[in-house]
Amino acid sequence: MSSWLDYTINGLIVGNVYALVAVGLALIFGVSRLINFAQGSIYLVGAYIGWVAVVQLHTPLPLTIIVVAVAAALVGLIIERFGLRPLQNSVRIAPLLATIGISFVLDQLVMLTFSPNPRALPSQLPDVRFQVGGGTIGPLDLLIAGVGLTSALLLFVFLRYSKLGWAVRAASQDRDAAMQMGVDVNRVNQAVFGIAAALGGVSGLLVGMYYNQIDTAMSLQATLKGVVAEVVGGAGNVPGAVIGSLLLGLVESYGVAVFGTSYRNLFAFLLLVVVLVLRPNGLFASARQAPPEPLTGTFIAPSRPVRIPRWALLAATAVFAVLPFFPVSFYVLQTLINAWLLGMLALSLTLVAGTIGQVSLGHAALLAIGAYTSALLSLTLNVPVGLAIIGGGLMSAALGTALISPSFRLRGHYVSIATLAIGEIVSLVILNWESVTRGPIGISGIPPLSLFGYELISPNSIYGFSFVVMVVLALLQGRLLSSHLGRSFRAIRDDDIAARAYGLSLNRYKSLAFIFGGFAAGVSGGIAAHLYSYINHETFNTQQSILALTVVILGGLGNVVGAIVGAVALVGLPEVFRIAAEYRILIYGIVLLLLVRFRPQGLLGTI
Amino acid sequence: MTAPDALLALSNVNTFYGQAQVHFDLSITVARGHIVCLLGGNASGKSTTMKIILGLVKPRSGEVTFDGASLIGLTTPQIVRRGIASVPEARRLFADMSVRENILMGAFVRNDREAIAQDLDRMLTLFPKLGQRLSQRAGSLSGGEQQMVAMARALMSRPRMIVMDEPTMGLSPLYVDRVLELIRTINQEGVSVFMVEQNASLALEIAHEAYVLQTGKIVLSGSAKALKDDPRVRDAYLGGSEAA
Repeated sequence: MSSWLDYTINGLIVGNVYALVAVGLALIFGVSRLINFAQGSIYLVGAYIGWVAVVQLHTPLPLTIIVVAVAAALVGLIIERFGLRPLQNSVRIAPLLATIGISFVLDQLVMLTFSPNPRALPSQLPDVRFQVGGGTIGPLDLLIAGVGLTSALLLFVFLRYSKLGWAVRAASQDRDAAMQMGVDVNRVNQAVFGIAAALGGVSGLLVGMYYNQIDTAMSLQATLKGVVAEVVGGAGNVPGAVIGSLLLGLVESYGVAVFGTSYRNLFAFLLLVVVLVLRPNGLFASARQAPPEPLTGTFIAPSRPVRIPRWALLAATAVFAVLPFFPVSFYVLQTLINAWLLGMLALSLTLVAGTIGQVSLGHAALLAIGAYTSALLSLTLNVPVGLAIIGGGLMSAALGTALISPSFRLRGHYVSIATLAIGEIVSLVILNWESVTRGPIGISGIPPLSLFGYELISPNSIYGFSFVVMVVLALLQGRLLSSHLGRSFRAIRDDDIAARAYGLSLNRYKSLAFIFGGFAAGVSGGIAAHLYSYINHETFNTQQSILALTVVILGGLGNVVGAIVGAVALVGLPEVFRIAAEYRILIYGIVLLLLVRFRPQGLLGTI
Repeated sequence: MTAPDALLALSNVNTFYGQAQVHFDLSITVARGHIVCLLGGNASGKSTTMKIILGLVKPRSGEVTFDGASLIGLTTPQIVRRGIASVPEARRLFADMSVRENILMGAFVRNDREAIAQDLDRMLTLFPKLGQRLSQRAGSLSGGEQQMVAMARALMSRPRMIVMDEPTMGLSPLYVDRVLELIRTINQEGVSVFMVEQNASLALEIAHEAYVLQTGKIVLSGSAKALKDDPRVRDAYLGGSEAA
């Protein structure tokens, strides 16, 4: 790779691969107004089925492609039938969360079956390169381009000339009216999921061959890239998704050419944020407005919270407070310390996602900001650890809110996408800003927790410290929610237009929620940094963001006590049942799916 | 209750949205070959009645029959296949599809290609204006033209009955007359019509029978002629609608 032409070819080829994912996302969004976060998992499944076919069954290339397409389509059909169809009449957030749960389950099943180690997926084409102008091109490049073009053509013919294709187009423009023409929307959904999955699976296969390697981390990356390409092209817009993908491929490729490989994803997410801020309907949206996202009020399951008597709360707090004075094992304390740290993050997320209705998928970024700030303050500036943690909280509040503020004008699913992207950007900046964050090496030798000069090293003291901090944050948040501020937050969540009509400034209240939430999350991250003594850009990842979301939904969105109960349950129960670590994520995924299906309001109810 | 010549019959339908009751023992009959009109103000439950017939909303109790067979439990596409077409409120065209595609979408439940092509030609004689618009995006048409497309689309399934939700809403006076004239023509070709309207005086001009719905209860019913002269309808609707 040397010439600009090479970078252009590379960008277009990668763009083609993204297009196969993004087109599926666009079809699904068109028909169901749903961003399918499981699309990357199908891509992953496609890559591994391809590996089985190529390495173990020695299938010839055309057969490999067919096997992968058919198998992936089957997975798509199963997801649609059993994961999403039962949720048709539930709240709008349910299918979104279900696809997240499904992606966790699929990724973990692949990981358990094939182990997390990367595998070599040999290209079945000869490795020669032809000279074209100033660059070179290989048979695999041509294959990818060919598959991309063929798929686009087939899709065009399907949508334009087949009856089912007409049904898909009609249903994506007006679902109810299509039903009144006799269109069976379930069949349309099936068709769309089948096609999207087949394309996604083939995309995974081609990428595996292109890079000669597959691993389970591909899944989230593919979902993110597909979503970026789709949103850049205009959600639900199929040709837009293709152009968005090619554009994304080129931007990334040129970005890599100028700045280096570790900047690839940074460019992808910056492109997304820029598009979301400047043209939230995508680059190619017509003058007509994109279909309105549902108001956030219908987004979250309404319910009556479970009333917990005050004495019970006091009793529970007292029991946990005096726990270290009894002969409990180090292991139990360690588990509960983790639960309190996660509880602080959950408090933050339940305020942001539950109370004011901004479902954030990038909350781990707030942990990271708090952790790095606190670690660096204490290490390089010798700030006492107690103050450094508060500094971490303040930095998270300020920086987190500033970063998230461009997404304040977005709604529903778009908020989730934007926060996901911002979360990734934070982690990528940490990776690349070596002069401050020490880049990929991470920060080691972070001083242990201490307060007023006394080091907190014994498990008892760490337990006590984190518990007290969490309880204080919970009390503050409870106070906040019962004030007029809490009412304003909920008003904005339930109907932002009405709230605005009553003179509430959405930006101001969303900022306040993120400032408060950012502080709690930053403090949690700060404490974690001093506990771990080593952190890097991957310590706080998307998996943690999703775990926090599961905790919050388990407890009941917006529910302060619920957030803590959820954290104890999700951290504690796997320990109690001694579930091996590799199965935990799988369990979290299943818990999320079951919750969404059977108790979307959570254990204690939404507030 | 069901008269022998009834094509569509709702009997004792009770509908709820959550806790709130929308229909109270609603009973409506549409005789074969007739135009029946359901009048009522805002929030009287008119549009919900449409949705009940089309299976978009399920009643908690009561019976809906079409040509003697129950529609309860059928999905909307199944009901459409029984021979009920709809002209939804505010037209609801497929905005990004062409006019031709929109009209042909109406024939989605049919598979007889040649007859569909003939019916398309028939629509163009019935709605001559649409001829020049066939390849245009449906979303780019005026409201009146869109109403024509919506009616053509409904006819394309060769329905035995068409249900219309406020077919004259938002149209210029010129188009209102045209739409009413077309409804009459469609009806004379043997299609029964059930329409929901706020504009009582217009609806009563073409309807055979009418029902007046008030907060979910039928308060008046009878032949359109009788209702037109009924002082209660006059006071409640005709006077109001003329003032509006």
